[in-house]
Amino acid sequence: MAEITFSGVTKVFPGDVTAVDNLNLHVADGEFMVLVGPSGCGKTTALRMLAGLEEISSGTLSIGGRVVNHVLPKDRDVAMVFQNYALYPHMTVAQNMGFALKIRGESKAEVDRKVREAATILRLGEYLDRRPRALSGGQRQRVAMGRAIVRSPQAFLMDEPLSNLDAQLRVEMRVEIARIQRLLGVATVYVTHDQIEAMTMGDRVAVMRGGQLQQVAPPQVLYDHPANEFVAGFMGSPPMNLVRARISPSEGRVGLVVGDQRLDVPAAYGASHDLPREEGAEVVLGVRPEDIDVVGGDVTGPTLKTRVERREALGAEILVHLSVADAGTARSVAYDEDVAVARPTMLVARMAPQARVEVGDVLTVRLNEERLHFFDSTRGVTLRRECA
Amino acid sequence: MTVSTVGARAPRLTLRRRRQLAGALFALPAVALVIGLIAVPIGQAIYYSFTQWNGLTSTWIGPSTWTQAFHNPNLWTALENNAWLLLAVPFALGLPLLIAMLLHQRVIGWKIFRSIYFLPTAISWVVLGLVAERFFAFQGTLNSLIHFFGLSHVNTNMLGYESTALSALGITFVFTMIGTNTMLFLTGLATLDTSLEEAARIDGAGRWRIFRHITLPHLSRFIQLAFVMTVIALFSALFSLIFVMTGGGPGYATTTMEFLIYQTGFAQGDFGTAALYGLILFVLTAIVGIVQLRLIGSDE
Amino acid sequence: MGRGALFLVMVGVAVVMLYPFWVMIVDSLKSENQFLSGHGFSWASWRTLTSTIPIAQEVGSSTIICAVSILLILLVGLPAGFAFAKLKFRASGVIFLAIVSAMMVPLQAILMPEFVNITRLGLTGGYTGAVLVYAALGTPFSVFLFATYFRGVPDELIEAGIVDGLGYFGALWRLVVPVAIPAIATVTVLQFIQIWDDLLVGLLFIQNTSERPITVGLAVLAAGRTTSIPALMAGSLVSALPAMIVYLIFQRYLVKGLTMGIDR
Ligand SMILES: Nc1ncnc2c1ncn2[C@@H]1O[C@H](COP(=O)(O)OP(=O)(O)OP(=O)(O)O)[C@@H](O)[C@H]1O
Ligand SMILES: [Mg+2]
Repeated sequence: MAEITFSGVTKVFPGDVTAVDNLNLHVADGEFMVLVGPSGCGKTTALRMLAGLEEISSGTLSIGGRVVNHVLPKDRDVAMVFQNYALYPHMTVAQNMGFALKIRGESKAEVDRKVREAATILRLGEYLDRRPRALSGGQRQRVAMGRAIVRSPQAFLMDEPLSNLDAQLRVEMRVEIARIQRLLGVATVYVTHDQIEAMTMGDRVAVMRGGQLQQVAPPQVLYDHPANEFVAGFMGSPPMNLVRARISPSEGRVGLVVGDQRLDVPAAYGASHDLPREEGAEVVLGVRPEDIDVVGGDVTGPTLKTRVERREALGAEILVHLSVADAGTARSVAYDEDVAVARPTMLVARMAPQARVEVGDVLTVRLNEERLHFFDSTRGVTLRRECA
Repeated sequence: MTVSTVGARAPRLTLRRRRQLAGALFALPAVALVIGLIAVPIGQAIYYSFTQWNGLTSTWIGPSTWTQAFHNPNLWTALENNAWLLLAVPFALGLPLLIAMLLHQRVIGWKIFRSIYFLPTAISWVVLGLVAERFFAFQGTLNSLIHFFGLSHVNTNMLGYESTALSALGITFVFTMIGTNTMLFLTGLATLDTSLEEAARIDGAGRWRIFRHITLPHLSRFIQLAFVMTVIALFSALFSLIFVMTGGGPGYATTTMEFLIYQTGFAQGDFGTAALYGLILFVLTAIVGIVQLRLIGSDE
Repeated sequence: MGRGALFLVMVGVAVVMLYPFWVMIVDSLKSENQFLSGHGFSWASWRTLTSTIPIAQEVGSSTIICAVSILLILLVGLPAGFAFAKLKFRASGVIFLAIVSAMMVPLQAILMPEFVNITRLGLTGGYTGAVLVYAALGTPFSVFLFATYFRGVPDELIEAGIVDGLGYFGALWRLVVPVAIPAIATVTVLQFIQIWDDLLVGLLFIQNTSERPITVGLAVLAAGRTTSIPALMAGSLVSALPAMIVYLIFQRYLVKGLTMGIDR
């Protein structure tokens, strides 16, 4: 068991592809760290460098205080779970799980004991003599886990271990893996592009994009205080609404103009956020779909007049797509994978299924004034002042 | 936190280097074997083709060995024999194609028939040559068949005459190739999507049209491969047949390039000229071989 | 054409393809006199077979030569195929192509220098020279087949082994080879039939009559034209048997090997 530190780790593939760019990340002993990000952002590469399967171009990587840049995989004492499990097809479940121990030269009795112990934890006891071919997807996944845990390694490395399972099994194994990790207390780096896995499994989540680390924080912090537009758009489904707004100061409150409507937000944001002061300066306003409700008549708080364009019933909730009356200047920002695209100002609101909204309705909606986000309009970073 | 620096120092071998070194080491025995027993002899053959060589001592002659060789009528006879034998290739491809189509109909017992048809593939061409000799012999099966069909006054002895020996060799060659080529075509047919044929049948296409426009194009890669393998066999695998059936005769009637090399080298002891003939054979097969390499290559 | 007619045609083809076996069986069941007169059957040629042809020694030689050559081909071909597929090194692509091209070189093209080289090394007496030549001729194809096969093995399987503590040699021996059994079977069967049935190499590179393989023994007797046909046919049948058995059991590996690289 040990901590893992990436400091300034960079990987450049031949052909000048920078897959990981100056990664600084510390995984504490026993911590469950989730690496998340869109396809091609360098998650797998980061993990493979940690395993010793890929060379590090620059920077230092250490496991348990030992720099491992040039240490062979077998001497790193880490265990890896692959996306396709990579079970040894010619070995039984027990042989698969005990293989690393056998190579290490442990006695047969010792190997046997550890395999049985792991099999109990994973509820694989009755399958020990089967070949991988004769197992279901979920069972294979467990064997892959078992192969990792019998070794009691310094760290677990997992690359999208659940992506080959069907939805229900995935939910089950999500819980299972988190349980086992907590039980064993081994530092874990878990790669996924599934934000639900990231939210539910990690002690902390590291969001990557284009080889660069965007933010590392506990899941709820990540959700409540995204460091930039990308993280805001990536975590949460549907993602946070991001709307371009102009500053228009008014007495006691922070005044904003969205489209051709005025929106007043509490003055407190002026203190907690580094908002521009000059009239007409642009910011990006972020609001989560669950922080938008329909209100009737005169209410206080930031409200917008909108029209219902689309209504998606999801059973437990409905998603209402709203267009904001637009003077032609306002645009909203959305992230499609990792490309920013501009669209006419639209908001998505999450509502209870009882809400009586129909396409074409003109609604006044109120934004939850406690939970607004502001981002720099050019760099996309949050304008929130770090409060210690 | 104290950071140990053991793994920080770059070792002599980086991880990638280590992998590449392992790769090179693993490939080495194969490379050595191929260089030592195939590549080097090609180089030697080129050198010795310009010399007079009896296997022990060689004297440099120069390019005149080549001009002389091309003035040797035996070389031309052998080349001519090889050219005539090429006429067997359409049969060595056409018959297996028909047989494969038959098997593909999957009538009762087709699996047994398949095994039977492929069985001669396992037998040495030495043995098949012996059997062929029995077939063509004066008292052999061929004459029995002719008599059976009422032509009792006709007696053939195809291997005995210069005019017919090569044809007998060609017929035997076709027989020996049937198993392998049928196997290739049957594999090709098995990969054919039957829904294509059915769709065409529903569209009212006749048998011939389906064969011509669906089956044949689909088989083209397999036919190409079979063609190449057949031609290469024709140039370099007839030795066993010739050795037991005719010994190259009567006269030079069944002496092909490969047999000429053997005779020149081992019967006449003229190693230099034999090496030269070998190079000519090499060029002939290389031409066909390049076609096959492109077949394999286009796969990747 | 109806199904019935089709069946008859297939029977007809079967008769033609079985003709060699029929000839061998019928002609071997005759004494020399019965063969010449064309009437009668006897076990005579079978009874005297071991005195006409040193059949036990020749079958034994063939077996040893096949076994050692194939072992050598596998020992050399498996690591090379693994290297070209998974451990790319500098110029490995070009070297691979060169080795595959060697598949196209007929032995006759290099026969003279090869013969002289092997003779100079003093290896043309017993099996050694022939084994080396067979191994060299079989290596290009086996390297090609193994490399093609190993490309289909996921990288992760090897990486899992490496993370578990294996070196590359361990990965080859303990993970890749066990997974490659079908490819090994294909190479073994193809090479067995090839080598068992070969004449040229055995004829030239094994000078000791007492170490001659069966195919060479038959061919030499046949070419001499003094041995009785029934005895030759009995010998032929004996020589054909092992290859036929191997072939019937492992038919599907043979087909796989022949079409390697073009069928998907
Ligand atoms: N061996 C390689 N050679 C060259 N480029 C590579 C190599 N491996 C990965 N890359 C590139 O590096 C970048 C990061 O790849 P990586 O596999 O780490 O992404 P990922 O985040 O794991 O994506 P995914 O979610 O799709 O698995 C990609 O642009 C990829 O094309
Ligand atoms: Mg990945």
